[in-house]
Amino acid sequence: MENYLEVNLVRFIHMLRYAGIRIGSGEVLDALNALSLLDLSDREAVRAGLKATLVKRSGEQQLFDKAFTLFFAPPEAKEKDYTRHRQDQTQRQQLLAKATEELTFQGMPLKLSDSEKTVYSGMPEKDKEKLLDYIKKTAEGKNIEQHFQPILESVVKSSLAYWRKSLRNQLNLSPLPQTGDQELNALLASAVRNGGDYSPALLEEDMQNIADKDLPRAEALIRKLARQMVTRLARRYRQSKKRQQLDLRKTIRHNIRFGGTLLKLRYRSRRTQKPRLVLLCDVSGSMARYANFVLQFIYGINDVVSQIESFIFSEDLERVTEYFQHGDDFTSTMLEVINRSKEWGRGTNLGAALKNLRLKYPDLLTGHSILLIVSDTKTMALDETLQELSLIKRIVKDVVLLNTLPRGDWLSSKSVRSFQGVLRMFPCNTLSDLEKVIRQKIIIY
Amino acid sequence: MDVSIANLRKAFLSAGYITDEDVIITVFLSLKLGKPLLVEGAPGVGKTELAKVLSQVLEADLIRLQCYEGLDENKALYEWNYQRQLLKIQISKETACTEDLEQNLFSLEYLLERPLLKAIQADKQVVLLIDEVDKTDEEFEAFLFEVLSDFQVSVPELGTISARQIPVVILTSNNERELSDGLKRRCAYLYLDYPTVEREVAIIRAKIPTVGEKLSLEVARAVSLIRDSQEIKKKPSIAETLDWVRAILALDQDRLNLVVIEQTMAMLLKTKADLLSFNKNIGSGRLVEYARTEK
Repeated sequence: MENYLEVNLVRFIHMLRYAGIRIGSGEVLDALNALSLLDLSDREAVRAGLKATLVKRSGEQQLFDKAFTLFFAPPEAKEKDYTRHRQDQTQRQQLLAKATEELTFQGMPLKLSDSEKTVYSGMPEKDKEKLLDYIKKTAEGKNIEQHFQPILESVVKSSLAYWRKSLRNQLNLSPLPQTGDQELNALLASAVRNGGDYSPALLEEDMQNIADKDLPRAEALIRKLARQMVTRLARRYRQSKKRQQLDLRKTIRHNIRFGGTLLKLRYRSRRTQKPRLVLLCDVSGSMARYANFVLQFIYGINDVVSQIESFIFSEDLERVTEYFQHGDDFTSTMLEVINRSKEWGRGTNLGAALKNLRLKYPDLLTGHSILLIVSDTKTMALDETLQELSLIKRIVKDVVLLNTLPRGDWLSSKSVRSFQGVLRMFPCNTLSDLEKVIRQKIIIY
Repeated sequence: MDVSIANLRKAFLSAGYITDEDVIITVFLSLKLGKPLLVEGAPGVGKTELAKVLSQVLEADLIRLQCYEGLDENKALYEWNYQRQLLKIQISKETACTEDLEQNLFSLEYLLERPLLKAIQADKQVVLLIDEVDKTDEEFEAFLFEVLSDFQVSVPELGTISARQIPVVILTSNNERELSDGLKRRCAYLYLDYPTVEREVAIIRAKIPTVGEKLSLEVARAVSLIRDSQEIKKKPSIAETLDWVRAILALDQDRLNLVVIEQTMAMLLKTKADLLSFNKNIGSGRLVEYARTEK
């Protein structure tokens, strides 16, 4: 085949990109140039060469090695992968067809997505029967007509959503890769199957859905993010186009010994004051899992910078700063917080929490402090909350809300829209959102 | 030296820099492709050392720009020697004609070269080490990759100064901050990890020839166990491993044992929290046992 090298390289890069590694076309050219300098029969040299030119993040090194091993596998292994992929595909099609056939309402198939159908086929037989029984009974009920179908569909969907959560550790719910290249699809599928690490999803996964087995990896990631955040917060100098202001008084005094010639200049610069971060983390029922991650993030920051005040709230406010200052490891700190907290897992009342914060800790809210709220904005007493927010906004330097609702749901939520009128809001639904919070300099001072 | 993989391998070895094939190939490619080499990795894995050795291998001068927060173009590129200019004005107050004076004042004579300009202006190829680039601000990083892609600098009073030769550029980063994609795209990338046990043994034996085979192996194993521990925050670097070995030798010991570990652990772990968590989570007993187990 002509251009065998180029074609293969491009396919390999395709595979890397699918795994979430960002590769620009300049880098592709570099890789090609690198290959022309290397002995192509030396597998290790090729691997090192491609790695040096294509992968430029420390976290992606292992991913690359895995992809390389898979892509440049002996033909027999590849063939095996390919066969298995085809089998999987057929099996999956069959399961989907079976689910479509079973889930009907008065003869019409229910409108469900493929992934919902996959969840259905993964359910235990007994529960499947229960669900089918329920659908059947509803369909045969009195005065039930065809237009009742959407209502039934949403009931079935919410039941399947429950099952998705409880089955997420066993079921492979990620859609099969669709690259238009059968052989590549097979490779990708095998990559996803063999190493949980390969799935690019962790960064993009809703934090709530991160499976338990991925927790250590997520935690490591958060630690890294926190460290980067600390570096950012700890910066004292900032470059600016403005030259520093000349301190005439000091300059003249200093240069008297040179007979008044201004040989050595003295500058004056404004002392930058570090912000005081006040963190308010929602730990109500809907937020508990996010809170776990976000608190871990706070913990990472607290480790180095001690000027962060952390609070958790649901119906009321609770100060947790001191737990994080003991210097114990995260798990025991977390256990302590959960055990001692009265707020963990209750309803949400942001307004009351804010009011308490303002009244009980007035010295924390000053012109230097930035209030960082982590919440899904689902709160009781919305109007009161908004009022309280605008009150606090007048006192502090900035109020930022990290919203754990997926961005897509923002438009449809009334509370989100009302909050957006009062403060700056950023998504904080996935770990990559958390990363962006750091990258985009959301906290400025 | 003729740049080839085999030559590099030999030269690195004779310079006492023990490393794996990945490093050699990446260095080779960055030299051949004329790209800056970005080296990332935890503190103490030998990033800066790589640049030093490379300058030794290429027989080139090493010019080092140590980055820190607040570093600006004045400190990195050039600055006018204000004091000298002022003296010149004072001296020639009455004599010289003003126009000549002005031209003279902004000549190379009054230019203070900082590392970047020095590297560009050098007659012979140099190795430019930009150390800990993650400590600077994004603005400086942007300025940096402008210089690195063109290798020319414009000084308003003098005009554009182009490089006489393209320097070999090595950037290092401790990964404290994600570097911009633009900078990364321009570089070949190398991630240095802590050495494997076998490699660390080789390093110990190369740097401290008097050490016994058993001790070097035990130390390398013990250090790898400590590095693998999640609780230890400041992982021991290679230099600290070497210090540890020297400390053990200074106490006239040729094997690891409980007493010597207690006495010398402070050479390896340098914060109170790490020492405490070592005692709590690993402990000298387990360390000796692990280090002495044949694998």
